[in-house]
Amino acid sequence: MVLDKLGNSLKKSIRKIAGSGRIDEEAVDELTRDIQRSLLKSDVDVKLVKNLTDQIKERALEKKPKGANPREHVVKIVYEELVKIVGEGGAPPIESQDILLLGLQGSGKTTTASKLANYFKNKGMKVGLICGDTYRPGAYEQLKTLSQKVAIPFYGEEEADDVVSVIKNGLETLNDQEIRIIDTAGRHSLEEELIKEMKEIEKTVSPENKYLVIDASIGKGVKEQAKSFEKAVGIDGVIITKIDGTAKGGGALTAVSETNTKIAFLGTGEKPEEFEEFDPEGFISRLLGMGDLEKLIQRAEERLEEDEMDMEAMMKGDLTLKDVYKQLESINKLGPLNKVMNMLPMGGAQLPDDAMDVTKEKMEKYKIIMDSMTSEELENPNIIGDSRIQRIVKGSGTNREDVKELLEYHKMMKKLMKQMRGRRGPMEKMMKKFKR
Amino acid sequence: MFEKLRNKIRGFESDVEEKTKKKASLGEKAKKFVKERKVILEEEDLEKPLSELKLGLVESDVDYDVAEKIIEEVKEELVGKEIKWRKDVGEIVEKALKDALLKIFDFQFNFDSYIQSKEKPINILFVGTNGVGKTTTIAKVSKYLMENNYSTVLACGDTFRAGATKQISEHGESLDTKVIKHEKGGDPAAVIYDAVEFAEANNKDVVLGDTAGRMHTDINLMDQIKKIKRVTNPDLVIFVDEAVAGSDAVERAKEFHKAVNIDAVVLTKIDADVSGGSAISITYEVQKPIIFVGTGQTYSDLKKFDSEWFVNQLFKE
Repeated sequence: MVLDKLGNSLKKSIRKIAGSGRIDEEAVDELTRDIQRSLLKSDVDVKLVKNLTDQIKERALEKKPKGANPREHVVKIVYEELVKIVGEGGAPPIESQDILLLGLQGSGKTTTASKLANYFKNKGMKVGLICGDTYRPGAYEQLKTLSQKVAIPFYGEEEADDVVSVIKNGLETLNDQEIRIIDTAGRHSLEEELIKEMKEIEKTVSPENKYLVIDASIGKGVKEQAKSFEKAVGIDGVIITKIDGTAKGGGALTAVSETNTKIAFLGTGEKPEEFEEFDPEGFISRLLGMGDLEKLIQRAEERLEEDEMDMEAMMKGDLTLKDVYKQLESINKLGPLNKVMNMLPMGGAQLPDDAMDVTKEKMEKYKIIMDSMTSEELENPNIIGDSRIQRIVKGSGTNREDVKELLEYHKMMKKLMKQMRGRRGPMEKMMKKFKR
Repeated sequence: MFEKLRNKIRGFESDVEEKTKKKASLGEKAKKFVKERKVILEEEDLEKPLSELKLGLVESDVDYDVAEKIIEEVKEELVGKEIKWRKDVGEIVEKALKDALLKIFDFQFNFDSYIQSKEKPINILFVGTNGVGKTTTIAKVSKYLMENNYSTVLACGDTFRAGATKQISEHGESLDTKVIKHEKGGDPAAVIYDAVEFAEANNKDVVLGDTAGRMHTDINLMDQIKKIKRVTNPDLVIFVDEAVAGSDAVERAKEFHKAVNIDAVVLTKIDADVSGGSAISITYEVQKPIIFVGTGQTYSDLKKFDSEWFVNQLFKE
């Protein structure tokens, strides 16, 4: 997940400080070394890392404010300094505008274009998509298909060479749309012709927002790229894609820091709805193991009808299979379980990775199995023994392993919910929101 | 347009030389040893300069852990070494590091002779994460093979991404080679299987199987690629990744290797002003050769990977 590795190792170093009870130079040294290491591992620029840790060290050793415990003190500093690097959230206002998407080859511009269109559409705007990539074979087809998928008007010219005229025609054709998003061909800083073309496109469109689309796995080269895009057309924000992998996104941090732009959105998967507004506080909170409640609430509000998500069932310690059934249904709407869990305030509680990776198909299978259970079995799964399993296997057309897996899953969820129940405060706030 | 682009990319090598001149290169960092001349190199003398070198590698996009291991090897090589009077310590360290890097790239595998000697049709499967340039690479490799008088068949095993079939079909048309494709959403293994059957029936030499980009963390899609491999039984599995990638390159190479056993690597987008450390990380991690690098957007922008050239680039002053 997002900066997960970085998050874990930061959590570890911070826990170390928390254990020591007081802040001395040695402990802070160790902490900054750990932070340095993890940031370097996450592709953050070396100079940037050094500046950051110098700041943290200096501030951590300053007199700490009365009343704060050492952990809070240091966490606050690390947090603030990291927020300084990632910048404020840069999501655009929901109003009429033209948006140009730019970036390296394969960074995910076309997918992002359709996601961004879908985002504005869900906010009630009239959106159109324009294919401004006349180079890559299949680019036209790709955006066209994607725009159909999210039901967005599309303009493109399949056999065209002159991209500027295509875009001009597109802007005219989609004149009645409030927001027009223009996808462009991938290019890099050394491709002078393409950089020149990009300048022309920029002049033609004079878009309100120009976003640089960056792959979360990009390395140190991002610095030069971001600089040259900024120099050529001026970048208004950054969209980070593919952070659903293991990439830590440090390269993107470098880019925003170097060019003084902001991160606007995150792409978190291949589906149109796997797209989030970037919120620095949530991002860093998640990084430091504080949970990202705001995002989960926001998502829940957008996707769930009232009463659909039974948080009480989720939080009850005596979770039954019936609850699991409900849970699976509601989680289906929220997104993959591991993503939902990552947003909850687990306080760094470790979750088994494969257990979290419950896929849609698996959920379907689980539901089918549960449909073959008796009400009694659903209420009290403990009574399910060998012969009952045999019957369920027959009834559901699955096999023993599947049924056992479901029972294991139930056990794990039960334990997890118990863990979470212990954490008061933010959870209650969230429950209130869900129940509203 | 493309004429100029091609010229631009031809000038890329000298561009890179100039670029690396400006950056504080590894070579410069190595030279700093000169000031600390010693007769016998001791561990404590080496500690600081070696950590500088490690940072140099990390700055060149070598994965941190890999950089650490490489530097550890260099250290073992150097500690206790007797240095002759007036001999340049910087040179010795530089050589030790160069040797360590070259050792990483030392493989027996030769793509050309493999293609030549192997029974036809040869079935090659291309795998990798999203957007690294698999389809473009397949088109380039096809061009390369066709220029060497081998016939090819392209299999559109990316039945998922919108526009993927169109993309490879257009390549097939431009290159004048057969493309086997199915409906969108079809079974990728079946497409490649069909392509191999087609090659057998029509005496084609090489089948180049494209697959959908997939995140190495996506269990379902990684299971799918395992299945594709099982069903189509490729002779070579080629992992495609981009030179612009940072340390995550290691992670995904590892996962793909675990899933389908990579035989070789193609590194794309090396023309995009990169330091290219991911070449070192990937190779170090999976212990498989890089056979080609992608150097631009036209079909001929595919170069054999030359490890000496590459390592020398890292040390350019």
